Amino acid sequence: MSEAAPHLVVRSVSKRYGPTTVLDHIDLTIRRGELVTLLGPSGCGKTTLLRAIAGLAQPDTGKVELAGRDITHVPPHKRNVGVVFQSYALFPHLTVAGNIAFGLKVRGAARREIDAAVERALSLVKLGHLAGRRISALSGGQQQRVALARAIAVEPDVLLFDEALSALDRKLREEMQVELRRLLQDVKATAIFVTHDQDEALTMSDRVAVMNKGRIEQLAEPRELYLRPASLFALNFVGLSTRIAGTVLAAGNGKVEVETKVGRLSALGNFQAGSPVIVAARPEQFRIGEQSEANTAAGRVRSVVFQGSRTLVEVDAGAGESLLAELSGRDGAIPVVHDEIRLSWPVTETFAFPMEMQA
Amino acid sequence: MTEAALPAPVAAPSVDRERLAAIGFVLPSFVIIAGVFALPLVLLLGVSIVDANGLTFANYKRLLGTPYYLGVVWNSLRLGLLTTLIAFLISYPAAFALARARGALRSVLLATLFLPLAASVIVKAFAWTILLRSDGIVNETLMALGIIEDPIRMIFTETALIVGAANIFLPFMILPIYAIVAQLDRRYAEAAATLGASPIVAFFRVILPLTLPGIIAGVALVFSLSVSAYVVPTLLIGEKYPTLATAIAKAYLLAREPGFGAAAGVVLLAIAIAVVALSARLSREPK
Repeated sequence: MSEAAPHLVVRSVSKRYGPTTVLDHIDLTIRRGELVTLLGPSGCGKTTLLRAIAGLAQPDTGKVELAGRDITHVPPHKRNVGVVFQSYALFPHLTVAGNIAFGLKVRGAARREIDAAVERALSLVKLGHLAGRRISALSGGQQQRVALARAIAVEPDVLLFDEALSALDRKLREEMQVELRRLLQDVKATAIFVTHDQDEALTMSDRVAVMNKGRIEQLAEPRELYLRPASLFALNFVGLSTRIAGTVLAAGNGKVEVETKVGRLSALGNFQAGSPVIVAARPEQFRIGEQSEANTAAGRVRSVVFQGSRTLVEVDAGAGESLLAELSGRDGAIPVVHDEIRLSWPVTETFAFPMEMQA
Repeated sequence: MTEAALPAPVAAPSVDRERLAAIGFVLPSFVIIAGVFALPLVLLLGVSIVDANGLTFANYKRLLGTPYYLGVVWNSLRLGLLTTLIAFLISYPAAFALARARGALRSVLLATLFLPLAASVIVKAFAWTILLRSDGIVNETLMALGIIEDPIRMIFTETALIVGAANIFLPFMILPIYAIVAQLDRRYAEAAATLGASPIVAFFRVILPLTLPGIIAGVALVFSLSVSAYVVPTLLIGEKYPTLATAIAKAYLLAREPGFGAAAGVVLLAIAIAVVALSARLSREPK
């Protein structure tokens, strides 16, 4: 996969709306057949980046290349992209088949070719029986599928999904995530999803770009993003974590010793002594009791939340700091509220990030 | 029904009472509509086909059988069609401009549309005569600029009539179209573009069909207003352009021929109803 030539290249794209920088020199390279998610809070620029790729927003600087062609100044109708909008934007005056045929009709395709493509797209999203329906007669999930079929039918070079699943209810959304991923892999589509939903990002994508304030903070495979977050923002935005503020006492060999309110902790990171930092770890790294090469802290259990296969335990470590542990229950009893317990977690799974002003 | 001692079911009378209440609410408006609108129309029809000797179609034969009155019918149709066409050509882009306008600009634009509705149509028609007459503002300006030497004859021409009528009835075309355009999701145009439709193709295949209900409502309104206009043709063109509306007035006020006036009224009504019914049909079956 890594040998494949770049298919979509975004080079140093910037966009300002008045005094606000929405995109700040974005670089992004996507390979053919790759599924990439732009993940971030509202206002981080993810939708604007998607619109810049689609040609619906003109970047102030930078270049966009698609399938070896510079499309920076190409109007959207000549880009050969497929967009699935959050509101779907299905044409209410056309039937399901009419919507799917639209792209091919305006390209002047032959009648037979159009019929075949519509049939193929409909069977792909399993809606063959609804071809003659009006859009208003469809459920939200069916509309979502029609929007997908309409975008796929023209065989675009890249499929762009703008919060395309967020209008569905939770259960349907989770089903669609899995189904959509399989479908896109089957047709070997290159796709970019825009979402603020971390589960969607982790489920659907080969790589996730975490965006914040018009920049990509981290571009990584879902597993790496979770296990090795590159910034405090990425850590916060994907998954749960324990975060403790402190000051670096000593540093060396990619490790730091940090003085915190719950005691001295070791973490991975490169900082000068005296730097204010946040020490963080994922909840599943915590164990009750001691372990070697580990940080440790004690406190009183504040809450216990049973989640089926595991249990989330929040511990008040004093001085306003708290620890979040995810215990499987296999290697020891689950504590109850008000228990005094000691937790430990490996130093190699502890990260230090520069303290930043939180918005 | 042998258990006479049992209390009567409670639900049945309460349903009756609800139905009675509903009828009670509907009845006054039904009576008003029947008395004020339906009854006069029946009377109108009656007067047009009954004279002292009984049933007659003489009035309709005269109206639809003589070249002069056919010309009158044609004048009315022409006035209605041309006014509607001009008003549509101005209103369609105007409605988009109005929908795109933001904040204070939109309020000002809407006010300029609504305020003239408060002025009488007579005032507006007179305003056009002042603008267009030989010593009117338009001629004076053109002469002052040296574009023309002698005043152009503008008032009492068909052009003046159509321009004036289109202007006066413009709000009735803009507002229904604007109501649709303002609701139109911009994503439709974007979706069309990403699917490969150029702006022109997207307009004809997506935007125009989606705004059709507004167009049809505006056309029905402006056509029925202008086809039956009386004040506007009377003031802006006068005797030489008789329409059904002016013929009706003449039949009642000068010639004292209520039967003929009624027949002209029925024909006018039939034309308007035909257009409105056609519009309703078109808007029910888009595409």
